[in-house]
Amino acid sequence: MDIKIFTKGLYKDNPIFVQLLGMCPTLAVTTSAINGLGMGLATTAVLASSNVVISMLRKVIPDKVRIPAFIVVIATFVTIIGMVLEGYFVDLYNALGLFIPLIVVNCIILARAETFAFKNGIFSSFLDGLGMGLGFTIALLILGSVRELLGAGSIFGISLLGAAYKPALIMILPPGAFLALGILLAINNVIKQKSAA
Amino acid sequence: MKEIAKLGVILLIIGSVAAALLAMTYELTIDQILQQRLIKDQTARMEVFPEAETFEAAPEEVLNEIKSINPAIADVYQAMAAGEVKGYVIKTRPGGFGGSIDVVTGFNLEGEITGLRVGTHEETPGLGANITLPDFYTQFEGLDLNKKVGVNKVSPGDNEIQAIAGATISSQAVTDGVNYISDVLTVLEK
Amino acid sequence: MEKLLRVSSSPHIRSQATVSSIMRDVVIALVPATLAGIYYFGMNAAIITVISILTAVLAEAAVQKIRKKEVTISDYSAVVTGLLLAMNLPASAPWWIPVIGAIFAIVVVKQMFGGIGSNFMNPALAARAFLVVSWPIEMTGWIAPGPDAVSTATPLGMMKEGASEALPSLMDAMIGNIGGSMGETSALLLILGGLYLVYRGVISYRIPVFYVGTVFVLTFLFNGFEVYTSFYSLFVGGLMLGAIYMATDYSSSPMTARGQVVFAIGAGLLTALIRVYGGYPEGVQFSILLMNVATPIIERYTAPRVFGGAKK
Repeated sequence: MDIKIFTKGLYKDNPIFVQLLGMCPTLAVTTSAINGLGMGLATTAVLASSNVVISMLRKVIPDKVRIPAFIVVIATFVTIIGMVLEGYFVDLYNALGLFIPLIVVNCIILARAETFAFKNGIFSSFLDGLGMGLGFTIALLILGSVRELLGAGSIFGISLLGAAYKPALIMILPPGAFLALGILLAINNVIKQKSAA
Repeated sequence: MKEIAKLGVILLIIGSVAAALLAMTYELTIDQILQQRLIKDQTARMEVFPEAETFEAAPEEVLNEIKSINPAIADVYQAMAAGEVKGYVIKTRPGGFGGSIDVVTGFNLEGEITGLRVGTHEETPGLGANITLPDFYTQFEGLDLNKKVGVNKVSPGDNEIQAIAGATISSQAVTDGVNYISDVLTVLEK
Repeated sequence: MEKLLRVSSSPHIRSQATVSSIMRDVVIALVPATLAGIYYFGMNAAIITVISILTAVLAEAAVQKIRKKEVTISDYSAVVTGLLLAMNLPASAPWWIPVIGAIFAIVVVKQMFGGIGSNFMNPALAARAFLVVSWPIEMTGWIAPGPDAVSTATPLGMMKEGASEALPSLMDAMIGNIGGSMGETSALLLILGGLYLVYRGVISYRIPVFYVGTVFVLTFLFNGFEVYTSFYSLFVGGLMLGAIYMATDYSSSPMTARGQVVFAIGAGLLTALIRVYGGYPEGVQFSILLMNVATPIIERYTAPRVFGGAKK
């Protein structure tokens, strides 16, 4: 039973391709594969930990004020992580620093707190957060790779398409995020229909 | 009424605990963070003025006078070596294609540019954003600030740089940032 | 089915016009300006036009085959899209620019949203926007008219940079002897084609007239009441091509008369604002695209009252 809590976030209930949650960071930061991966991993860390904290506090937090309570918990958590990273893990902070304040506004975290962590035990909540976070990471990595490949001719900064390829700049600009996400969603839907039939 | 008070108290407790945790973390990390930022700034200045040993912020009245001439000049540092002022590192904020651009320029007492880097900017990726690449910014090294630096699209002549193809506005903006300095050179010489 | 009594909802009066007759008229109207473009910009202009049209038609056929829909390339609509796209390109563009543009126009903008009549933006313009943002260097490689392909700036580009003394004469601007996209330069021939379309009843005069009129009035106001410059600016850039042939696209502009006026004034306002204050020298394509997106809202607020219905 526990393994399903973890795996459902990877593909079946993928936060991006199925639930369409957290579109803001998804569209904004996936200009390259490394950015997608960084944002994904940072979110995974926060999501798993915030799920644990919310699950621990679920008996304390009254139902009626749960949303403000969640936001305070998540924002505190993220800010603390940000400060510790900036002070003591400078290299990691330089790579991820940009994304850390953005994580607070990612509605995946709020959604998982609301729909899962508030109703389930600590360990299940941890697994759920980890699975959803990794699903998010996979989606962002795919999106970032597609956009970087078409928009800059490379993935992770390694040139793949050669010098003759004239990169389509639009793909690393905001409109490219919508184009790439829309087409990936369409492909995913086709795969789902084919496998269901 | 009673319920609202109860909810308020619970939220207050959660908020206070969060605030306390944040304050604690802040106290524990702030020194370290400031030190890291200092190192970062110092390394950035070192890149544009490699001969300096330390950097000192310019006196406030000088900075104020400079800012009154051109408010787009953000900060002024003196590059020190062997206890003497060897040159300056100035950050300017010219307006580019997408917003303001942070341009850090180092130059010696003769007004010769020792180095230039582009910091925060919002230029178009793949085009204007190429101002952060060495191919572009190393062009400024050795140029003379006593006259205006020019931008040329085809073949740069004396005291000119070549604009990035398709990104003339961004190239011009960085050059503007450099030229702001020539307006205030007289203030620094005093 | 044919023998059954036909009971249908309105409209009961049908016009003779079909998709292919309308599209054929548009092609006829565009031919003079296209030929002028080829005359001024040479062989490469002809090659780009052919590539663009061929790719558009092939892409349409391919998508319809894949989607197992009826193949409708004989209705000329893909030809019009391909031709309009070519007219919006600089004559110096490499061969892959019209190929990618035509595929994007047909596959992404037109067919993915349901094919003819369902596109919410003008496919050729959306493709041009895609190309300009993606390959700004290739898409602004303007060349001067003539056999030597000397690179030049467009008149609007010169005005933007304040180099007004280098501007070509008004006469050259009207007949198309200026730098620019290959189909947008001959303002007179574009107007001629527009008159033909209005005469044939394919388009209404409203969108072109109000669009161009708005740009004139606003340029006049912004430019310090200079009649000549304001008049001049109507004949340079993509204004005529956009106002007559692209803003009047049926499925992406309003159906109601009042709606068309609102649409045209809005597009004119945006064009003038982008030309004066924007980062790009020309704003026709982005203004038409923005108004395309606003069309459903315009239609909702300008829908005529149902006959006998109550006043609001």
